[in-house]
Parts: sequence; C-alpha cells; structure tokens
Amino acid sequence: MAYPAPSSRKRWTLFWLLVVITIIVNLPIILMVMNSFQTTEQLVQRTTILPRDLTVANYRYLNERTHFWTFLWNSFTVSGVSTITSAAVAALAGYALSRFRGRLITGYSRALFVVQMFPIILALIPLFMLFRTLGLINSPLSVIILYTVVHLPFATWMARAFFDTIPRELEDAALVDGCSRFGAFVRIVLPLSGPGLAAIGIFSFLFSYNEFFVANVFLRDQDAMTLPVGITMFMQQYSTDWGSLMAAATVTVIPTFILFLGIQKWITYGAVSGGVKG
Amino acid sequence: MNWFGNAPHRGRARALACLAAAALVSLSPLSAQAQEPVKLNFWDMIWGPPEYIDSAKDLVAQFNKEHPDIQVEYRSVPWNNWYQTFVTAISSGTAPDLSTGAGYQAVQLYDQGAIRPIDDVVEELKKDGELADFMPNTVDTLRYDDHYVALPWGIDIRVWFYRKDLLEQAGVKVPTTWDELRAAAKATTKDGRYGVVGSGDTGGSHFLYNALLNNGGGLFTADRKLDFKNERNVEAFEALAGMVADGSVSPASTGYNSDDRRAAFNRGQAAFTLDGPGLIAQAGEQAANIGVVPPLAGMHGDKGTIFWVNNIMVYEQTKHPEQTKTFLKWWSKNQLPLWTKGNSGQLPTRSSIAADDYFKKDAARAYVLEHYVPVGKTTATNAAGIFPALNDLEGEGAMQAFAQELWQGKPVGPIVDTAEARLKSVLKE
Amino acid sequence: MSVRPMLADDTTTWRASAREWLRSGNSLPFLLLAPSIFLMLAVIAYPMLTGFYYGFTSGSLLKFGKFVGFDNYIRLLQSTDFLHALWFSFIFAAFNVIGCFALGLGLALLLNQEVPFRGFFRVALLLPWIVPSIVSIVSWRWMMADQHALFNQIIGLFGGSPVYFLSDEHWAIAAVIAIKIWRSFPFMMLSLLAALQGIDRSLYEAAALDGASRWNQFRYVTMPQLRNISIVLCLLMTIWTVNDFDTPWLLTQGGPANATENLVLLAYRYTFGRNDVGLGSAVSFVTLAILMVLVVILLRRQRER
Repeated sequence: MAYPAPSSRKRWTLFWLLVVITIIVNLPIILMVMNSFQTTEQLVQRTTILPRDLTVANYRYLNERTHFWTFLWNSFTVSGVSTITSAAVAALAGYALSRFRGRLITGYSRALFVVQMFPIILALIPLFMLFRTLGLINSPLSVIILYTVVHLPFATWMARAFFDTIPRELEDAALVDGCSRFGAFVRIVLPLSGPGLAAIGIFSFLFSYNEFFVANVFLRDQDAMTLPVGITMFMQQYSTDWGSLMAAATVTVIPTFILFLGIQKWITYGAVSGGVKG
Repeated sequence: MNWFGNAPHRGRARALACLAAAALVSLSPLSAQAQEPVKLNFWDMIWGPPEYIDSAKDLVAQFNKEHPDIQVEYRSVPWNNWYQTFVTAISSGTAPDLSTGAGYQAVQLYDQGAIRPIDDVVEELKKDGELADFMPNTVDTLRYDDHYVALPWGIDIRVWFYRKDLLEQAGVKVPTTWDELRAAAKATTKDGRYGVVGSGDTGGSHFLYNALLNNGGGLFTADRKLDFKNERNVEAFEALAGMVADGSVSPASTGYNSDDRRAAFNRGQAAFTLDGPGLIAQAGEQAANIGVVPPLAGMHGDKGTIFWVNNIMVYEQTKHPEQTKTFLKWWSKNQLPLWTKGNSGQLPTRSSIAADDYFKKDAARAYVLEHYVPVGKTTATNAAGIFPALNDLEGEGAMQAFAQELWQGKPVGPIVDTAEARLKSVLKE
Repeated sequence: MSVRPMLADDTTTWRASAREWLRSGNSLPFLLLAPSIFLMLAVIAYPMLTGFYYGFTSGSLLKFGKFVGFDNYIRLLQSTDFLHALWFSFIFAAFNVIGCFALGLGLALLLNQEVPFRGFFRVALLLPWIVPSIVSIVSWRWMMADQHALFNQIIGLFGGSPVYFLSDEHWAIAAVIAIKIWRSFPFMMLSLLAALQGIDRSLYEAAALDGASRWNQFRYVTMPQLRNISIVLCLLMTIWTVNDFDTPWLLTQGGPANATENLVLLAYRYTFGRNDVGLGSAVSFVTLAILMVLVVILLRRQRER
C-alpha cells in the first residue's frame, strides 16, 4: 500500500528494522549453526554462549560415518513427489470446488475439514496394517500417500482460491468453440495456473520436509529414513549426540534455503482466500 | 574421538565374508541341493555411542561367516518412540526374530502373547555350565509366570557421582551415608553452585527409585500390590525433599532433562548427581574431576540402588526358532567387542566378560561392578522378578511428575498422594 | 427363460448410460474429486472407524479388549488429567492463534513494503518453519534451561534474578506458547503476504485520493480485504495447534507436573505409556468432536455475514 514510492531513507530504515527482526527471530537457528561447529563434548562442557575452538568434526562424521546423504536424498524424494502428487490431486479437486455446486461438492468440502482435523496418531496402527498388506512399509510411497492426504485440504483450498481468480469467461469461450469442460480446464485454465500451483507446491514441500511423526512409524529401515527420522539415530537411551544433530540440521536447512531464495516470488500466489465452504 | 578408525577394517571383513561364502558355494559338491540360508532379523537398540552400531554389525558379520546356513540381518532401532516401533511391528506381523530391549519390554510383550519364552535356552546353558557365568540376580529377574522371557545381556544401574574439585573446595569428605550426603550437599552449595542436580525426565524418577531402594523400601508388596506409601519410602522421599528444602538442589532440576543435568554436572555446577556407569567415560577432560560415591548406607543402614537387566528376547512370530536360539546363544557368549570396540554404556551380565582387562582398566566401572551391582534392585521390589505393569509404571510418567514436583519444593504429603492415586490408576488397582 | 437376454440388455444400457454420463458435463465434478475421495476413504475413513470402535473397548495395543460401552468416556470426564489437558489445549490454541496472527500480519505488512533485499527476508523469516523441530526446540531449551543460559544472562544484565523457565508451571506454559508462536508465524506471514499482494492497488489509490490517512487505508481497505482469509487461517491454525505434538513434547514432555500436557500428549500417554488404547482413542475423539463443533460454529458465522 506504499503509494507514492517511499523515499530511499525510509526504505533503508525498514531494511535495518528487518535485519534486526530477522536476527532476533532466527537466534535459535544462528546458535544451532554455531553449535554445529562444536563437538558434543565441547557443547556439554562449555560455560559461555559463544563457541570456542571451532571444529568441523561433526560434518566429517556425518559425511563419513552415517547415512546422512541417504537421509537427505530420501527427504528430497519424499517431499518432492508428495508435493507433485498433492498439487495434482488438489488442482483437480480445487477446480471442482471453484466451478461446481451441489450436494457432492458440499459433502466433499465438509470431508476436507474432517481430514484436516483428524488426529493422525489415531490412524497409525490401522494404517500400518493396511500398508503392510500392500507391502508399503519402508517404502517412500507410504509416506508420500499419507502426506498427500494430510495436505490435501489446505492444498485444495489454495487451488480453489486461485481458480476463483481466473475468469470463467475464458472457459466459456472455449466451450463455445466445441471444447469439453475438462478440455477447457486442461487447455485454458491449467496453463494459467503455474504460479498458483507453484505456491501450493511450496506449502506442501514445507509441510512434508520436516514431518517426523508419520515418517517415524513407516520408515524403519536406515535406507528408507527421511532426515527427521534419521537424526534420531544420534540419540541413545539417556543421552544424545547434540553436535552431530546440530550439524545435520544445518545441512538440512541449507538446500531448502537456497531453493526457496530461487523460487520465493511464487510464494505470493499462495493465498487460501475466503470461502473454504462448498 | 575415534571416528574414522573402523571403516577400512569393516570393508575388509565384508570382503572376506564374501570370499568365504563364494568359496563354500563353489567347493561344495552338494551346493546344488544346499538349502537357502535361513534369514533372521535381529533388532538392536542403540546401546552406546556411534561406534557401538559398527561393532555390533561386525559381530553379526562374524556370526554370518561362521554360520553360512544362517544369515542374520542387523537393524539398530532408535530409542525415540521405541515402544511404538515394536508394537506396530508385532501387530502387523513384521516383528523381528529376536531383539534387545530395555528392562520390562520382554515381560510386557510376553504378557500380550508376542514373546516366545526361552526356557529351553536357559536349560541348555545350565547343562553346558554356562548359566553360572551370569551374575547373580540377572537371569532370574527375567523369570515371569514360571518362564524365562528373555536372556540378560547388559545391566544399567544408577550410582551417585561427585565432583572431586568441589568437595575439596568445600573441605568435605566423600559421604558414606545419606545423612552425610545431605550435609555434603549443603556444604557444597555456594557461589551459584548447588550440591545436587536432578532432572525432571525419566532420569529424574531414578532419584526416587534410588532413594527408596537405598532406604530398604520398595514400590510393591511381595504379591505385586502397590505399596507406595510405606514408611521407608516416605522417609526416603522426605530425605530428598529435605535436600530441596536446604536449598541444596539446583532449581533448574525440574526443567532439566538428563542431558542437561549431566552437562551441568560436568561443567561443575553441582557437586553430586545420580547417573549411569558410563558418565565418567563420556565426560571427556572432566573425567579426572569425577568420582563414584561408595554405596551409601541408608537411614537404617540399608544399601541398595535401582538397576535394570536389559535383555535379548525371541518373538513368537519367528519362523526359525532353532536358528534364532543358535544366534542368541552365540551372541550372548561372544559380545565382548560391544564394549571393547563399541564402548557400550551398559555393564556386562557375564562374569567372563566382566573379567576382561577392558573393565579392569576403567576403575569407575570396575568399582560399580564390584560394589553397586550386588546391591542392585529392580522397580519390582519387594516382589520377586519383574512383571508387565512395570512398563506402564515407568512409561506413564507419574513418577516423572512426582520428581518434578519434588524438585519444585512442594510439600511431600500431597504430592505423594497425587502420585499414589495416579500409579493406582495406571496399575488398575 | 427370457431373463438372460434381458440381463444382457440391462448391462448394455447400464454401460451405455454410464458412458453417456461420463461424457456429459455432469460427471465432471465427480471425476475431478475421484482421486482425492479415494485417498481420503483409504487413508482416513478406515482408521477413523477402527479408532472409533477402539474407544468403546478395553484392549491394549496387541490384545483385543472387551466392549465396555461408554466406560472410557466416563472415566475421562472424571479424570482431572483430562480436564487439565482440555484447559491447556484451549489456552495453547487461543494464545498461539492470536500471537502468531499478530506477528505474521505485522511482518507481512513490513515485507509488503518496498525494502531492499525483500526476497531474502521473505525466505529468512521462513527459517523457523524449515528447521527440524527436534533441533530448533533444543536450541530454545538451551537458551532458557538454567541460570547460566542466554535469557538469564540478559536478565542478569538488567539486574534481575534468574528465572527457571522450564521448572515453573506458569513460565513453562508461557514458553511452550511462545515457541509455538515462533514455529507457526511463518505460515501466517506467508499466507497473509500472498493475500496482501492480491489486493487491488486501485483501492488504495482511490482511498488516497479521498485523503484517507495510512491508518484509515489499513482499517478500511486492507483489513476488510483480509477478513475472510484471516478467519480461515485462524481456523486452520486452531486445528493445527490443538493437534500439535512436537512443541510441548520436545520442550517439556508435558511437565512440570503435567502443566503443559495437551490433549494429543494425553492421548499419546494413555495409548503408548499406559498401554490403554481405548482411553487414548476416547481422548482423540473428544478432541475431534470439539474441533468439529468449533469449525461448524465459525463457518456458520462467516456465512451469515
């Protein structure tokens, strides 16, 4: 709402304000990065807040002695694929919610809310049995399916909001030209939806990348574990290798951070907007 | 830290194993009719630092090499949500053939029909004269319902540690009785340091078990009924509360977890704490400053502390009980490298392993083995052997909440009542 | 004897009409929803029904129990643990929603200005969301655990005496809420920023022409435009907060003395700690029921306006 364009002095004041806020907000994360350059022994014995005698031992340990790169790769596959599937499923459903009315739509919309509210803890054991009969334990597919469902309500609402902003007249013109309804969706609406889908993808990715609870149940094999589960291998019964944990978390964050810097302009398409009802 | 030492060695072992397997296959004229090796799944908890997993894997590889007809697959199970891991696996029919587990896992899962008793294994060990190798109190602790539900492999125990430097500064001697401990804690509380540091997690509840067992108390009657408010127990709780009232216990204790507590102790912020036998080995350069307090004499002269017999159990779902037994016996006998190479924080249950130089060189551990293990008792005291409800008792958190309130300095009477009510509802009495 | 041809006839007509239905526009909504309906039925409906059934039994995780009717629900209503968890869940959700909405809106407004390196800040402020909770919450613990931790050193600078944040019920509740706000504001910020950017600029130009002050522009243009999305975001955040396991579990494990135990932690404790699946399921379904009532009420009100 900045009209007319603000003076450069005001812009730089805002800039410094944001720098301070960013540092304060990210203080735990800055400490985490600094602590990742300390061995667990140093961490436990240190009496100061700032680290001394920096070491990259944790990183070497991650690289040489753990399945860290497997965990990271699994995390990326799982979040990547579930991002794509949930964007695809949500695009179809969101379009239906945006363009049609009726009992089916209302019922579906209510079901979305129930899914959103459903405490996943309740589902773990029945789902485990279901997935076992399908041979999906220790398979990334199990968590991909679950993430897709769990994110479905939010992704659908976002997609619906985005489709609401695309004028119907475009499709109507295509219908007049003899296109089917679905054809109009695929040929006219989808090509315009790139930014909206990208925004949905960003949210889905963020939801999946750090998920622990579900992944912990279904991915038991070291070769299948995602990062949040894999790093629990640094924990013993009553003590934890905090240094390696901090290093692992730091490496986890960096690729995501860079990825998001590259695609951050799409973020702004990610509004769920008003009506989540049918 | 020896982080980079083992990798090439492991590679060589694996190559050798491959060679050996290949040689066997090509040499044997019977190989055409030789059966596929039996596959066993062995799930092992993470009982030590990262090198523990490597040493356990090496050991499994050695077994596989010696037994070409049995191939054991090793998987290490993180402690995080371990109960969930096993329960989901069992309920969906994907349980391992055998696994290690803490204190009461075996008896609880046995009660739910998931564990295969190992009476036959114990019988065979007895015949071979090996049963005598296990320390007293270990094998029989795992007897429930007239069956041996698991084989002991490691002992976890809680002992008092002290900071040599802080005691010296305060000019107090290492305590030998509870009263002396209280006095020493008070004397070392000064300059922002505290006499005792506790924690509010499971490790915090160990202070309670230690205190009541040390005072000759126990949580249960001989017939497994809760006996929480007996005279000895309450006296022990009041002794702990007395130290809190003296101001000798760090006020951060309630919010600490065991990692925080150990860190505070290693930094010299408290003179005493209660921890496992591995504390000194993990303390790095502070190790020289830390000593083990001898088993304290309780207020009536009793000695005792809390200990758990960690064990290996066989699952009902196994399709190859004979081969599983073979592996179980082999593992029990050959597990020395879990300490010498894996630096496990547990204490061994077999005297032959405890007699190894590795334990002799570690004075603190040798001391604990010699003086504390004989007075170790389970949470089941005064009932004999363990039973399923103990897992709920430790897992439910009533004792943790009790410890938290105790460290907060709340009056003992009401919090004992709250804890008793909660324990009763957990135990469905 | 003429049944057979009739049947075949029926099948063909059925097939034909199905084909026709599929071709017609009427089937489209169903086809569009089919994949997600299938997923929801498989992954949510089935476990939900079994879970609902467990709530009426007395089993453990591995042993089927007896049917006990409403016993579990009656036991719950009589238990002080449950009432406390209910109360804490309410406090936790209310404060978190207000807190992270205010923080998120403030930062979204800031980031909606023309600031150098705006793109960098947008991502840097997302970090609390990206870092694995198990590590970020430990970082927080270390900043508040004892008298030597960062917060107490700062308090010391101002001459205050140390606060043991995690040892005191009230401070622990405050800490859990504060960290939850810290973890959830990036979502609010991101969504509100997107909504802000979607506001038609001509509205501001018109307002500016009418001589509206900045505050009035915010009040009469921005706020009404954000109203609908804000309701939805707060609703979602309420649901997520009530179902949050990580924050209280990793920070306090529900302590001290169960002060920070919410309904999810309670369900977890009953199910896995006490091995009482019936009671755990009952807690989950009460939670679900409360959330449903809340959602229905809020959506009705939204529709009425």
